[in-house]
Amino acid sequence: MIKSRLTLKIFLLIVLNDIGDTLAQFLMKKGLIQTGINSITLVNMAEFISKNAGSLILWAGLAVYIFNFFIWIIVLYRADLSVAMPVGSTSYILVPVVAAVFLHERVDALRWAGIFLIVLGIHFVSQSKSGRRAEKA
Amino acid sequence: MIKIVLLVISAEIVTALGHLLFKSATNSVGRHDLRRPGSVFKFVGEVLSKKAIWAGLAAMMAGLAIWVAALAQGDLSLVYSLGSLQYLIILFSAHFFLGEKIERMKVIGTFLVVAGIILIMLS
Repeated sequence: MIKSRLTLKIFLLIVLNDIGDTLAQFLMKKGLIQTGINSITLVNMAEFISKNAGSLILWAGLAVYIFNFFIWIIVLYRADLSVAMPVGSTSYILVPVVAAVFLHERVDALRWAGIFLIVLGIHFVSQSKSGRRAEKA
Repeated sequence: MIKIVLLVISAEIVTALGHLLFKSATNSVGRHDLRRPGSVFKFVGEVLSKKAIWAGLAAMMAGLAIWVAALAQGDLSLVYSLGSLQYLIILFSAHFFLGEKIERMKVIGTFLVVAGIILIMLS
């Protein structure tokens, strides 16, 4: 059996998938807020759905999600699920770092410690040799 | 509290099932050279022809619904911290159902990621 480590290409695809996931959630949240409805009941359900159906930004979020799904199946084709999943936790790093750099949010020591552990964890996981379907690599 | 923990854990299990089904679908397709755009389309077509991928999507949606139910009732940081258990569930279930290896580097790395997420959520 060929032993193969996670390649840089697949790693970058996983990061791209994470960025897409964050972007999609951001867009959908923004779209949902724009409808101006903050509690959904049976009475305003129809209004809620029709307002959302016309929200371009919400559809953009959905489109990113669908695109992301295709990236993810390519990742899964080439990497073990138990490797791809933890490496996919880069969004936990990206979000606070982006928030700190672009939004000047304060990132406290505990959060930096958490980020450090995740980076270390991703490093360890990506060093592990992948098994089973390595013949495809 | 217990209700929320149970909700999150069931969301985790259903979502993990979705991931396992996705992976089993991509494991069952033939060889494709993904460096060529043409074969990327062929690959996607073949994956979409597998029942497992659609079962996986259904599981993902069910998992999301349970997840939202948990979020609606629970403290955000608690729910997200518990959510990091997903990585451990995947580590073990991918071993039992897909034959992926559990090796030292992977176990250490996965636990570090889980610990890191919990720290971030508590901060």
